[in-house]
Amino acid sequence: MATGSAAPRSTPLPSLTWTTIRRTAAMGRLYLILGAGISLLLTVILVSRTPAAFQTTFPLEVPLFATLASIGGLITFSSDRTKGVFEYLIAYGVRPRTLFLNGLLATAALASVVLGVALAMGLGLASARGVPIPWSMQEALLLYTVPMCYAGSLFTATVGMIWSSVSTPRSGMNSPVGIAPTVGIAPILLVLLAAEGAPSADYYYITVGAALAILAAVVVLLVMSARLMSRERFLSPL
Amino acid sequence: MANVGAALTTSPGPAHGSHRIEVRSLRAGYHGKPVLDDVSFVIEDPAVYVVLGPNGAGKTTLFRTLAGILEPYAGTVEIDGVRVGRSEAQTRIQYLSHIDGIPDALRVEEALRFYATVEGVGDREVEAVVRKLGIEELRGRFFSELSAGQKKRVSIARVFLQERGIYLLDEPTSNLDPKLAREIRDLVLGLSRADLVLYSSHNLFEAKEIGTYVLALKNGKVGYFGRLADLKPTKYVIGIRAEGAEGILPASSRKGEYYLHELAGPEEVPKLVAELAAKGVRIREVKEMENPLEDLFL
Repeated sequence: MATGSAAPRSTPLPSLTWTTIRRTAAMGRLYLILGAGISLLLTVILVSRTPAAFQTTFPLEVPLFATLASIGGLITFSSDRTKGVFEYLIAYGVRPRTLFLNGLLATAALASVVLGVALAMGLGLASARGVPIPWSMQEALLLYTVPMCYAGSLFTATVGMIWSSVSTPRSGMNSPVGIAPTVGIAPILLVLLAAEGAPSADYYYITVGAALAILAAVVVLLVMSARLMSRERFLSPL
Repeated sequence: MANVGAALTTSPGPAHGSHRIEVRSLRAGYHGKPVLDDVSFVIEDPAVYVVLGPNGAGKTTLFRTLAGILEPYAGTVEIDGVRVGRSEAQTRIQYLSHIDGIPDALRVEEALRFYATVEGVGDREVEAVVRKLGIEELRGRFFSELSAGQKKRVSIARVFLQERGIYLLDEPTSNLDPKLAREIRDLVLGLSRADLVLYSSHNLFEAKEIGTYVLALKNGKVGYFGRLADLKPTKYVIGIRAEGAEGILPASSRKGEYYLHELAGPEEVPKLVAELAAKGVRIREVKEMENPLEDLFL
């Protein structure tokens, strides 16, 4: 009959985090390429214009594309649920909480790719062209760009994962996978517009305040998810 | 319904595989609404247990609860004396869902390796199931590109990666052609010599062929649990395919190629055949037209 040993497994279940990240990168590669590509293009344009344009806009645009590029995490989660993959993994003893956290880690990994590439390319290009990187920009990168890349992508993923779990599966733009990115990108876009239009003295407060607000929203959603994401929410529809 | 309320326990036979499923007063469902209510049974005789019931009766919910995927609202499910959901219980169960459960964007071989990783087995086991299920030619193809039948084969291959002792197979032969369905049934029968196999199907003739026991669910409760051989149809109808029967057998009883004839029981068949032959009817085939399992659906 079956090929493996009949003895119950004594070793713990293997971590599926790395496998999930690899699958997420494969399933979301189009968004990853688009996000990283457009971010790089915009960086080149900004660097070639005035130093002020680069110094104020670059820290604001990177989270936008990191959020877009990390949609693969949500796509994979939604697909795994609909295709019954979670059902099998739970039957093998994987905890639903682990599946949820793996989705978030994969999302953060994709966001890290875009963040890393954008920072390396942006700061590298600026240095090469002699564009100064003042303390205010370093502060914005540290206090807004980096946290907002993760907050924006995790906010999108968490909203989408909870939404796709509590709703009937739909496909296309009308699905949580289609709508959640808009939910995640909207606040980042608002910050970008507000910070660009506001007096420079307010730039710091707007960006840091927004990053803190989105991070707080992610924490609240994660706490809520423990109640909302019951085991049966991970099952494929009958 | 035939023999409702038969024994809710099976005794281990001579080929006892030392596995046991004990379900007591189980209530389970979705979003607080029970699908199964007050379900109790004990299974320990290695065999195929056909789980039957109309759509919505609770078959998939029962499988999911036994597999530890759904948590019961009330009652208990124990696998070999261990409450289901604990890792010691989970490692004794192999579960096949009614859907494929293969991750997107993976080739067949990658998908099997994915589950091999979860199972804690290696390449040798993957190679073995690829050969066992005859899917060598599919291994390099993306799962999403396969036909429904090919997908089912790959999904079933996953079940054979690791021997477990208890197999929960939810409609394993749906979407399969008759030849492959036969091969799968043979594999399942092989498993059932030493292991417990719960097998759901909408195909009553397949169920009759493969099952030793029947667990029929109706409206979330156990309608019948017992040996399939103990089930008796409420009426005994045979189909006679014959030439020269016009005017001898009523035309109104004809259904396709067969004349239907109701008898008191199988013991009356030889007498009827002799009578018809004496009247010049050339009988080509006589077969039972009623499946006792049909009564469980009514």
